[in-house]
Amino acid sequence: MNPEIAILWGGAIATLGVYTILYRENPVSRLFEHIFVGLSAGYLIVFIWTQNLEGRWWKPMIHEGRWYWVFAPVVGLLFYFIYSRRLLWLARLVMGLFFGIAAGYFFRTFFPIYSPQIYACFKPLRADPQIGWSDVVLHNWLFVIILFTVLSYFFFSVSHEGRFGRTLGRSALLGRWFLMIAFGAMFGNTVMARISLFIGRVQFLLSDWIGSFIPWFAGRGV
Amino acid sequence: MAEPRAGFWQRLQQIPRYYVYLLMAAVVIWQILFPIPLPIAPSSATQGVYDAISAVPDDKLILISTDWDASTNAETGPQTEAIVHACLQNDKRFAIMNLHPPMGVKLANDIAEQVAEQYGAEYGVDWCNWGYKYGFANVLIAMAKNIPKTIGDDFYGTPVAELSMMQGVEDIESIGLVIEITGLATITETWIGLIQGVYGTPFASAYTAVMAPGYYPFLDSGQMQGMLVGAKGAAEMEALVTRPAKASVIMNVQSWAHVLIILLIVIGNLGFVLARGPRGQGAP
Repeated sequence: MNPEIAILWGGAIATLGVYTILYRENPVSRLFEHIFVGLSAGYLIVFIWTQNLEGRWWKPMIHEGRWYWVFAPVVGLLFYFIYSRRLLWLARLVMGLFFGIAAGYFFRTFFPIYSPQIYACFKPLRADPQIGWSDVVLHNWLFVIILFTVLSYFFFSVSHEGRFGRTLGRSALLGRWFLMIAFGAMFGNTVMARISLFIGRVQFLLSDWIGSFIPWFAGRGV
Repeated sequence: MAEPRAGFWQRLQQIPRYYVYLLMAAVVIWQILFPIPLPIAPSSATQGVYDAISAVPDDKLILISTDWDASTNAETGPQTEAIVHACLQNDKRFAIMNLHPPMGVKLANDIAEQVAEQYGAEYGVDWCNWGYKYGFANVLIAMAKNIPKTIGDDFYGTPVAELSMMQGVEDIESIGLVIEITGLATITETWIGLIQGVYGTPFASAYTAVMAPGYYPFLDSGQMQGMLVGAKGAAEMEALVTRPAKASVIMNVQSWAHVLIILLIVIGNLGFVLARGPRGQGAP
């Protein structure tokens, strides 16, 4: 059998098998789910070896005389001392190292990631020759109002009583509405993404799979 | 005693989900087989990606980080294809690489090979594949200082330093634009925190529609030059490179699927309101 035909049929059967979940939870869907997870895990192991360890660790150690690379996995294996009460401190050594790296990484990346976004919150609220009134009102004022009302929603230290508290409460309510609109937009994008994936699979089933034995379907939807 | 039969408006709120799935499948199949084309207008976010590609100086590379796998192929696959078209149409050299998940590097390689063939572009001269490089932040930190040493071998096992297009490519200064294509959160933060924010390397992105809303602040702040949002962004890029393909079909079908969803929402809500009656009687 032509391997390409076998791959097409395998893909089609797997797609239909996974979609049987739409009827209800069943062993066929589970089977293909497990196959997918197993394939991904196997693929990851092979790629870590062929694209990384083989070239950057194994070859230098075996063929280029860098024998000291043999100690690299030893450091990694220290993690397994988490199962020994007596030698747990060895695992803690390597964990401490990783905590330190993670903390340093977070500290280093925090400002480059977030400071430009904080600067971008300072927007001109008066029109000038470069920015027309419509832009200022539609974009900048709206942005600043949403920014303050949403921030006030997350300001929990003042009870919503008294004149200031009630004003804060109204602002927080408005902020909650803006958040709901944002969540609605996010959910709309989620629906779009899920339907895109479904359309992609139907394209495959119609054009590639059915198209392989009924030529009229081939090329449709591509 | 038998339950009283639900009224018409109540039954509208209880349409079995199988019928919804079947209706959705019917609309999708109908539009794939007999499409009613709708116009696609590129957004400013998509235009930003295209402009960023065309603005890359000729002596610099475009680095495309293809951090996606088969599960998001319907969105990220066409995005990758349209971006490769844009690079080759603008005579820009590009390199593919992958931080995670590793499947993306193979899928993107297949796409790049197919598109490169259409333009007569040659591997190692016009484009190359740096392969899957494990280590996230460590890879980027090291790559910023020394690309050939950090990357080592390409996807096929050839040292990248031996590829003709890599002559003169030393560090992050040799990269004119980074394009991140992904369905995974946090990889963008790694690129921006360690490369764009530190060295000022221009950055653009292509995301699955699910995760895109969270990244608009990066676009607004100018940290990103542009962004492709899901299949919509891919279809818009296909329109810009005048190569309508898979994403254009997806978006056409998608528009009709959305019409169905809106209709179902309206019907469900209409049923809810009318089943209550004028004073809220009959509410479930």
